[in-house]
Amino acid sequence: MAGARETAGRLWRSYSVAVVVLALGIILSLLTPSFLMAGNLMNVLTNAAVIAIVGLGMTLAIASGNFDLSVGATAAFSACIAFTLVPVAGVPVAIIGGLITGAIIGLINGLIITQLRVNAFIATLGVQSVVRGLTLVYTNGRDMYLQGYPGYKVLSGGHILGIPMPVILALGLAAILGLMLNQTRFGRHILAVGSNTKTARLSGVAVDRVLIGVFAIVGVSAAMSGQIYSAQVVTASARIAVGLELSAIAVVVVGGTPLSGGRASLIGTLLGALLIAMINNGLNLLNVPVLYQQITIGLLLLITLAIGAERKHQALGRERRAA
Amino acid sequence: MTTATDTAGQRRPRTRDWALMWEKYGISAVLVVSWILAALLVPNFATLANLQNVLRTASFVGVAAVGMTIAIISGTFDLSVGSTLALAAIAAVWTGSQFGVIASILAGLIVGVAVGIINGLLVAKVRIPAFIATLGMMFVVSGFTLIVTGGNPFAYNAPSFIWMGNGDLLGLPVPFIIFLICALVGEGVLRRTVFGRQVFAIGSNAAAAKIAGVPVQRMTGLVFVVVGIFTGIAAILVAARLYSARPGLEPGFELRVIAAVVLGGTRLQGGRGGMLGTVAAAILFATLGNVLNLLHADAFWQKVVEGLVLLVALSIEGIRQRVEERMSRQMHEVKEGG
Repeated sequence: MAGARETAGRLWRSYSVAVVVLALGIILSLLTPSFLMAGNLMNVLTNAAVIAIVGLGMTLAIASGNFDLSVGATAAFSACIAFTLVPVAGVPVAIIGGLITGAIIGLINGLIITQLRVNAFIATLGVQSVVRGLTLVYTNGRDMYLQGYPGYKVLSGGHILGIPMPVILALGLAAILGLMLNQTRFGRHILAVGSNTKTARLSGVAVDRVLIGVFAIVGVSAAMSGQIYSAQVVTASARIAVGLELSAIAVVVVGGTPLSGGRASLIGTLLGALLIAMINNGLNLLNVPVLYQQITIGLLLLITLAIGAERKHQALGRERRAA
Repeated sequence: MTTATDTAGQRRPRTRDWALMWEKYGISAVLVVSWILAALLVPNFATLANLQNVLRTASFVGVAAVGMTIAIISGTFDLSVGSTLALAAIAAVWTGSQFGVIASILAGLIVGVAVGIINGLLVAKVRIPAFIATLGMMFVVSGFTLIVTGGNPFAYNAPSFIWMGNGDLLGLPVPFIIFLICALVGEGVLRRTVFGRQVFAIGSNAAAAKIAGVPVQRMTGLVFVVVGIFTGIAAILVAARLYSARPGLEPGFELRVIAAVVLGGTRLQGGRGGMLGTVAAAILFATLGNVLNLLHADAFWQKVVEGLVLLVALSIEGIRQRVEERMSRQMHEVKEGG
């Protein structure tokens, strides 16, 4: 009996986000007929993908036992760099240049955390401030526009077999990171560092190198999100992606990756992003003012965690009774 | 007078003294040096009006940082202070315009305490990690603020209200006097009350504190109420300074508050810290901004410099540790490390 309940608990833990996404999808399609229209669904998926991509990077950071608060600033800066490069060097070089910018900022984060031993929260907070400031200086506080370069717009508006480009990028990134986590030594080391840094170090894991790698990946993912968003709105400035770091963390947590580190659920992160995009879209379709969107993200976060905490509490109680 | 619970036997005593001195007084020393340098090198820095301006600016983040210092010493922190600040400021301004200045102060405080109670319940009763609970509350409170106000600003300009943000008393800005009182009260609570000692105990080792009979959950909940009170006070001062309040007031406020506390030498891991550093760090950040303004530096550079100062100040301890490890490795040859 207890065994069955535990299995049910484990199943619920793995698939709860998926169930909620499905349920919400059904409810929304019943409430508003326009939800299921192809254009709208593509829209939801695109919006979900932008936040999912940076969320995937953040999943690795959280799995390694850290946070990265600099992703919003990184996204904005990388987008601005890409916007500068497009007219000069062409779209492919610009995209790669933006990604490299993200990687460099990530490397700097990793070096500050491992070599100068600054707590990740504070290190990335400081870097966030520096990078935002540099972006303001770089753009002189103005918006950058990109007109007459349809190639860059492919990032957000392109399709392959009818699937929006951001969705393909998000799924591709999830697949690559998933393979990396499960099949490579680097991936296993990330989880080892996340579950117990000291033990990992004593067992010969090059903790510093692992963390630097993780933050570089987070930087690249942030740059990717920033570029897609900038392509979507055809604008880049120091004021885009403000607060992206907190949405990214929210998506990861709603997706079921524990804050304590050592475990990662990339699929959960994808679903978490989808859930938030669906809620926001549903509110729009139901003519609920945009003002309510923030409150739903917050409540969703609290409810998810409250359910999780309740379960953990019960599990602890069971263990204690068993002992 | 070591208030910190030492992590025993990690370092040799001589260097530990140095580290403790740096942790407690380092940022105050940096502040004094930077004021002397600024007075010598920056035109118009050392005028009464300008110094008043610096201290006034420091007070808004500073008052909230008093509460945050207590939270961080207890090993937790609160990301919702920015949203709470906006909601409390709006409550103060609106209530003031309807019922007068006393009601306005009460309204600001009540909002701060109410959000604090919810945070406390979420962390202590529902057992959501503080980071996520307060992050969620940040979204909920700012969303709630937008809904209630419809996104509109509010104004209130009774002279007695404005005086709290803009007035001077004996040459000191009123908000700064309130900031100092808050810091003194905070320090007193930390050092001289059971609550304060329990805050330190929970922050250094929550499990040990629990075994020793500290009601950890209840105290952690209470810490969030304390943060709420100081955030409420900060909100009243900000609203009084601006004669007004609006949703989305002071974006990134929570991070600036945490930065001031940590720059002031309070450990993010909990268990150590105090108000002196917090006060000095708040004034230092305000000084930086002021000096950059006086030098007609591009306003955009201010964020860059703020971040760099935070990073440099917090790297010093890590660099010192590394140098020390290298030295002791050379001496002993066998010692585990990076």
